[in-house]
Amino acid sequence: MYNVVQILVRFGAPLLFVVLEVFCFYLIINYNQDKKDIFINSSAYYAGRIAEQSNKIGQYIDLQQQNDSLLRENATLIENLISIEYSSDKIPEPDTMYTSYGIIPAHICNSTIHLRNNHFTLCKGYREGIRPDMGVISANEGIVGIVRNVSENYAHVISILHSQTRISCSIKRRSGHGSLVWNGLDPQRMSLIAIPKHETVIVGDTVMTSGYSTIFPKGIFVGKVEKVEKSAGSNSYTITVRLFNNLAGIKHAYVVSNRFAAEKIQLENEVPNE
Amino acid sequence: MSKTVQIHLLRLVLVFLAQILVFKQATYTLGGIAFIHILYYPIAFLMLPIKTPKALTMLVAFVFGLGLDFFYNSPGVHAAACVFSAYVRTLVFALLEPFSGYGPEDSPTINTMGFGWFVSYISVVLLVHIFTYFSIEAFSFVYFFRIFINSLFSFFASFVAIIISQFLFRFKH
Repeated sequence: MYNVVQILVRFGAPLLFVVLEVFCFYLIINYNQDKKDIFINSSAYYAGRIAEQSNKIGQYIDLQQQNDSLLRENATLIENLISIEYSSDKIPEPDTMYTSYGIIPAHICNSTIHLRNNHFTLCKGYREGIRPDMGVISANEGIVGIVRNVSENYAHVISILHSQTRISCSIKRRSGHGSLVWNGLDPQRMSLIAIPKHETVIVGDTVMTSGYSTIFPKGIFVGKVEKVEKSAGSNSYTITVRLFNNLAGIKHAYVVSNRFAAEKIQLENEVPNE
Repeated sequence: MSKTVQIHLLRLVLVFLAQILVFKQATYTLGGIAFIHILYYPIAFLMLPIKTPKALTMLVAFVFGLGLDFFYNSPGVHAAACVFSAYVRTLVFALLEPFSGYGPEDSPTINTMGFGWFVSYISVVLLVHIFTYFSIEAFSFVYFFRIFINSLFSFFASFVAIIISQFLFRFKH
């Protein structure tokens, strides 16, 4: 109480000044029509400006969430793209193929790029439906790797920049397919081997996944043909492919789950090896 | 004590009447450029003794301004300007304080403080008052040029009126 009195004694005059001015402005605004109009208009203007600014800040804070929702949206779009790719096939039951591939968006929380055998870690795991041997593709174009191990919340992915990588690829609008391997030098370039020499390959052709394995659906663009070599004594080309995606800067990826993978593998294994 | 209070009260009433009966009528337009309002009334509370408590000065100015607003039909506009200049008055006192300081009975008049001191005191506070008044009257700085021109011309007119009145009535105090 004593403090309050002290404050009143010290700041009494400025306080009274503020109180009186506030009261005066209350009178001015309420009993002068022209000033009332100005006040209402400008307060509406400034309130609008403030609302706009706070909205901007809110959007910025919300970016992470928006990013995630965009990722999910992209995932569905990619799913649709894949099903369109298959719907043009002459396979009689397109409705089962439509739902054959599912897409799970994921953030990449760790990655290596300059080793001989590179790896990624995804921030999603078993709980979100990621299983070993699923393919991982990147946000725009290109493939990233194959899931090897899965824990509750994380997935370990073998990058395509790995000595063991062999991905079945074909060339758009041309027949024949080969394997995509990495020779360990340039993270932007891979080699497509085992395309027979009787096929036509031209620099600039687009390399895409063939869809013969259960890992990647067909028609995902991987890169462009940069150099075609016919090595002597071999029956196939050695093709240098420049990748579409830059694996060094990658932040998001999509895991492709093939719902019929197990069925296909089981069927193929029933055929005895000859 | 009571005589001093009576003198000040009397001056407040007289200035109030002079403003609403005489100077309120004397409103000129200067060739479409500026309105000239003669705001003579700030002298009423500007001439309260220097040692008057700030709060009391502001309250007097507030009541005085509110009374004017009844006659000018602009509730709050004069009152706001009056309270503001009553507050500024104390700051100007601090700025203009002579070396010897103010005496306990000093009033801000030509007789006690000298002509130069009085002119600088009145011109600063009056300019502040008139500018505040026109700003609140327009209620938006969109009209800044208008406000500025009106304040300038009204200031000269009011200033002349105040100085003349000081010489006319200087023996009264």
